[in-house]
Amino acid sequence: MNLNDTRELLWLTGGLYGTALLFGLFKTFKVKSVFREVPLILISLGFVIHTRALYLRGLDVHGCPLGNTLERAQFILWSLILAFLILRFIWRLDLLGSFCAGLSFCIGWITLLFPGFDTAYWLKDDYQKLFSSPWIELHASIAIFSYGLFSLLSIVCSMYLLQRKALLKRSFNKFSAFLPPIHDLEHAAFRLLLIGTLCLSLSIVVGAMHWLQDPEYVTSTKLFISIILWLGYCTLFFLRYSNLLFGSKFCKASIGLFLIAMISMGFLNSKERAMSRPQPLTSQIELK
Amino acid sequence: MTICHNIQSLHLLGSSHHVAGLDIREKISLAQEEVDDFYKGLSSLPGLDECLLLNTCNRTEIYGASRNGFSPNILQKYLSEFRKLDPDFLHKHSYLHSGERVVKHLFEVASGIDSQMVGETEILGQVKKAYEDACRRKVSGKMLNRLFQKGFQAAKWARTNTGISRGQVNLGNVLCELARRIFGKVSNTRLLVIGAGEVAESAMEAFRSRGSQAITVTGRTFDWCPLSRRKPNELAEKYGGFALAFSKFQESLHHFDVIITSTTSGKSIISSSDVIRCMKQRPAKPLFLIDASVPRNIDEDVSIIDNVFLYNMDDVSSIANENLKSRMEEVNRCRNVLGKRALRIWEQMTAQTQSASADSQSTTPSP
Repeated sequence: MNLNDTRELLWLTGGLYGTALLFGLFKTFKVKSVFREVPLILISLGFVIHTRALYLRGLDVHGCPLGNTLERAQFILWSLILAFLILRFIWRLDLLGSFCAGLSFCIGWITLLFPGFDTAYWLKDDYQKLFSSPWIELHASIAIFSYGLFSLLSIVCSMYLLQRKALLKRSFNKFSAFLPPIHDLEHAAFRLLLIGTLCLSLSIVVGAMHWLQDPEYVTSTKLFISIILWLGYCTLFFLRYSNLLFGSKFCKASIGLFLIAMISMGFLNSKERAMSRPQPLTSQIELK
Repeated sequence: MTICHNIQSLHLLGSSHHVAGLDIREKISLAQEEVDDFYKGLSSLPGLDECLLLNTCNRTEIYGASRNGFSPNILQKYLSEFRKLDPDFLHKHSYLHSGERVVKHLFEVASGIDSQMVGETEILGQVKKAYEDACRRKVSGKMLNRLFQKGFQAAKWARTNTGISRGQVNLGNVLCELARRIFGKVSNTRLLVIGAGEVAESAMEAFRSRGSQAITVTGRTFDWCPLSRRKPNELAEKYGGFALAFSKFQESLHHFDVIITSTTSGKSIISSSDVIRCMKQRPAKPLFLIDASVPRNIDEDVSIIDNVFLYNMDDVSSIANENLKSRMEEVNRCRNVLGKRALRIWEQMTAQTQSASADSQSTTPSP
């Protein structure tokens, strides 16, 4: 294994997350006795390797690696695991780790399986730095980090819906017994929405400053989608804060909004189109 | 023959819920202030080298280690004399075990599979306490030390590797488990009990034992003392709760997280509109309703309201029965493994005693 190859490291990371998921499930269902902290150790190790992989890619592209689908997906997964590890210290939820590891394993390996998701755009002759300034790089990375928080929010909401369904259907299998209480899950979801919305708002503010200075670098599609998503999350936060939307409806809305955000990411990537323009290439994904 | 004479054996005389009802156990059980005198007499019994008393609300057991020739009936005689019981009465409501069966019995007791509430964990602490007491009195020796250490290991194994404690079987505990899955800490939930009844009392006990400080009771018949016609202060003392006037409870529903109805009114006392009104005042907080009445006291339509979880007696009982079923399957598995383990330990213990006797014979030959 080449520890200086981004893709190989990402394969390894996905493998570690997958193993963490397996150990987490073994632990939950007590299929066999395993060390209690093994899933957390595997996730932490995976996170370290994940960080190195993104760092190496960052050296290749001379900036934050957010230039293709694989990079964006991996950055969101990295943010998801980072958010989980931070939360893990204040909120002991082993099953949440299994959910995060499972999602990171599946999406991580799927994006690696399709070479089309990982075009080597930085090797092109006319490649210029992905971001025109460090501020825009900061804007993009905060935006992606907020996506990581929203993905964690979706996981927490999925756990809420599973626990609620188990309680309503009177199904008391071992899996649902290990899910956290729905009251705690709803509180956690609200906090994640708050932090995620704050991060997204911050990135929008930084991005808007750039847009005001150089409006030609931001396409109207990106601008429109970014504003819609930001308004969507702000509305969701307002509805939850004022107790107009809560419980299962809030969870479904959170998951739905995150899916829309994920789908819209494809529209935010207008790099190819921008490159064909005569004007110099800068950030095409700035207002994510 | 000399070797055989030196082999130690284990004996057990006991009485538990399996062979004696509560009124009989009360007669056999020893009061705390009697334990010192009991041990004094027990340790001076001829031929009994080591002894240990396990005295809990559900069982009174005397463990002993002796050389061959000691008759366990002496234990029975001593206990009947001490407690001033008819020997036949004690014989009828007690059991006597020797050798390997003592090991197996202790393993089953310590692991909780011999308990009235199968799989409960309190018994292990009681066994440990009894062992520490015997050690402090210096009446437990090499044989009982080994037996009890192995018993603690067996109990740990049983709890770690089998599902004997899995799921709650007591209705009150089932309700607490459901409340935990909705609210997290049961101690932070506020419980309202409407009416009397076994389920309601069981729930109150379970909630109180988990630290719930906010238990309120109300009733249709007894405006002041809804349970057992007790005065409110007696009620508060028993369950740490408060009494609420029945005429006030409907406008106070939003103050409570868990509401149990257990009345014989035969009609609905909590309607959908009551719950909708209540949820408007506590929008994002879930509400757990348990209808333990037959006919039911809570409108079934309530269950479609978001954040409201309505359970009736059939639901709660089916969970308890399912838990008990899965627990009993595990108990049989656990009993088999503990039996094999006990046999192995007993063989080791007797082999060690034999070799120790042989050694002592070879080093200090008899004149």
